[in-house]
Amino acid sequence: MLRLAAVGDLHVGVDSVGQLRESLVRLSDQADVLLLAGDLTKRGELAEVDVLVGELRELSVPVVAVLGNHDHESDQQRALTQRLLDVGVRMLEGSATVLEVGGTRLGIAGGKGFGGGFVGACATAFGEREMKVFANASMLAAAAMESAVRSLDTDLRVLLTHYAPIRGTLHGESPELYPLLGSYLFAELADRSRVDLLVHGHAHGGTEKGATPRGIPVRNVAQPVLRRPYAVYGVEPGRHAASRGGDRWVDAPVG
Amino acid sequence: MSAEPDPFLAEHIHEALSRDQRVNAPELRVTVEHGYVHVDGVIATEERKRAIADVVGEGWHELRLDDRTTIADFPPDGRIEVV
Repeated sequence: MLRLAAVGDLHVGVDSVGQLRESLVRLSDQADVLLLAGDLTKRGELAEVDVLVGELRELSVPVVAVLGNHDHESDQQRALTQRLLDVGVRMLEGSATVLEVGGTRLGIAGGKGFGGGFVGACATAFGEREMKVFANASMLAAAAMESAVRSLDTDLRVLLTHYAPIRGTLHGESPELYPLLGSYLFAELADRSRVDLLVHGHAHGGTEKGATPRGIPVRNVAQPVLRRPYAVYGVEPGRHAASRGGDRWVDAPVG
Repeated sequence: MSAEPDPFLAEHIHEALSRDQRVNAPELRVTVEHGYVHVDGVIATEERKRAIADVVGEGWHELRLDDRTTIADFPPDGRIEVV
């Protein structure tokens, strides 16, 4: 069983030095990979990503990440991405990466994603230029992610986004905000491609657990939702297709 | 006679807490009622929590702040969920 640690919305700033390091100390004992679901920084400044790099320095597991909307605030997303790539973080934006862990090949595809809404209450690419740009942004992101997922010939496939793919993990947020929090397009591509797990952040007031219409587990790992430093999900090849039962919780060895 | 309360005030304060570089937290929830600004949600650091009071005080000194935010300092729980 592969153990995937995941968290989003860390919002690291220059005032965050030392804040994550302590909670990440034991992560390498508890998980094989760390997924970061966007909003890595407070306002997308290089000084902030340098703090994050420092916090991750002791970590001995691979780190895979996507950016979030906060990481775009200063319009330095390319430089941020490069800084993280330089220290070995695998950054995804409509792309995929493959890790081999204990003989299991894990494929992770992803990207930031965008809003647009969910079935029955969606923006469409019609009318003003601004509305077309808004609606098309999610469509383009989903198309790139689907292509990335389909490039993966691995034992397990995970889709990692910042924006939410379903309404289910938004419960607790104001419904008026849903179109700004995610898009059904990411769930649709996951169902079509039959990934094993979707992980996202962004919805601080939402709910951790949900599923796509085809029953693929979706987990909102925004840290304010988790109320723990990170979640750890155990994923086994083939388990998803065989069983869609309720959640099973087991105790992880500590220390 | 008191002035009519501004029905849009909560959103002006929310916008300020989103844009102000000391906070930058659009995820916070803001309501205004009976002279109080209620702010709720999780904020990443103590410094940013203090800055909420600064932003509200600088822009709306006539209101009192009810800061219900919590700082993101959560203990690990050691669980694994098998999905």
